[in-house]
Amino acid sequence: MKIILPDQGILVIDRSPASVEQILSDLGINPLEVIISRNGTLVPEDTIVEADDEIRIIRISHGG
Amino acid sequence: MGGKKHPSGTPTCCCCPEPSVIYQQHSQRHLCSTHFIHDVEERVVQGIENNAMIRPNDRIAVALSGGKDSTALLLLLAHQLKRWRDVSLVAVTVDEGIEGYRNETIKAAGQVAEKVGVEHHIISFQDLFGDSLDILLKGREEQACTVCGILRKKALSEAAKKNGATRIATGHNLDDEAQSVLMNVLRGDLPRLVRDSAADTSDRFLPRIKPLAEIPEKEIASYLFIKGMFLLLPECPYTRFALRGDVRSMLSGLEHRNPGTMLRLMESKKTIGKYLAGSSVSDPLRRCRQCGDPCSGDSCQVCRLRQSLGR
Repeated sequence: MKIILPDQGILVIDRSPASVEQILSDLGINPLEVIISRNGTLVPEDTIVEADDEIRIIRISHGG
Repeated sequence: MGGKKHPSGTPTCCCCPEPSVIYQQHSQRHLCSTHFIHDVEERVVQGIENNAMIRPNDRIAVALSGGKDSTALLLLLAHQLKRWRDVSLVAVTVDEGIEGYRNETIKAAGQVAEKVGVEHHIISFQDLFGDSLDILLKGREEQACTVCGILRKKALSEAAKKNGATRIATGHNLDDEAQSVLMNVLRGDLPRLVRDSAADTSDRFLPRIKPLAEIPEKEIASYLFIKGMFLLLPECPYTRFALRGDVRSMLSGLEHRNPGTMLRLMESKKTIGKYLAGSSVSDPLRRCRQCGDPCSGDSCQVCRLRQSLGR
């Protein structure tokens, strides 16, 4: 599965099915500081994602 | 969390068979995009009405930085405007003069104002105070957020008054408000902790309203994403000097491990305010000797700051 990180870096992981929550936890990301899209659609953290999904992690908290 | 899963692997909405886009911790519900948008808009409208934030014939200056919170605020107020009799909006953007940051957000602000058909005005530190923030901060960058906060508030008030506004609406969300409570506690600033900027309806202040103050930041970002209006914008280069950054990380960690922390902080603020009602925790309001603006000492913060900056 392809994961696009908040800094636009790309990570490919071989772990499916997995919940979005597990993926964020493995990456040390607080779910309250990001929103997640799967294949362009917003999803909650208890979504189960599959090997062919593209997950984008978008950081929402920053100053300005 | 949990709940019935849609074939897509996403839990279904609590109100219909569609896949959900968010799990709301505070309501313990999964919601699809349609029901989520409706829920956010109704909560904001309820908050406005319960707190009498908008009155007939108001002209509301929406502080529009171009970031996500103010964009969501303008979208929401513009869409719901027909609910209030003879109320109009004007969007106001403050250009502090921050190289590599502000130009992009000002462009975004202009685009959103145009999209919703709201008049848009820009006021700059350069015009009002004689220099950009970058220049004013030379050698005192660690004071950036204090200096910027004081001058931005003044700029916003000036622009609002100039455009005939009766109120100023800002996009502060629940996370911002909870962070401010904690920051005021950490600074030991009791007067600021209990101050209510919307409470004074005399002619001394233009009342400020915060229609998004009960909406978590994550819901604001989700709202904009669904509306196709979420933009990745640059971060303010002075953020690294701010206490708020540390408080934000700490508080969102606490909220994640102990859901409801932010709401309880807001409740604490209200409780302290109730106990202190009628007592004087700050000096009585006077007029600044230099500019005549309301203040608690001989001079207002802006005049004191201008003096220290040699302006």
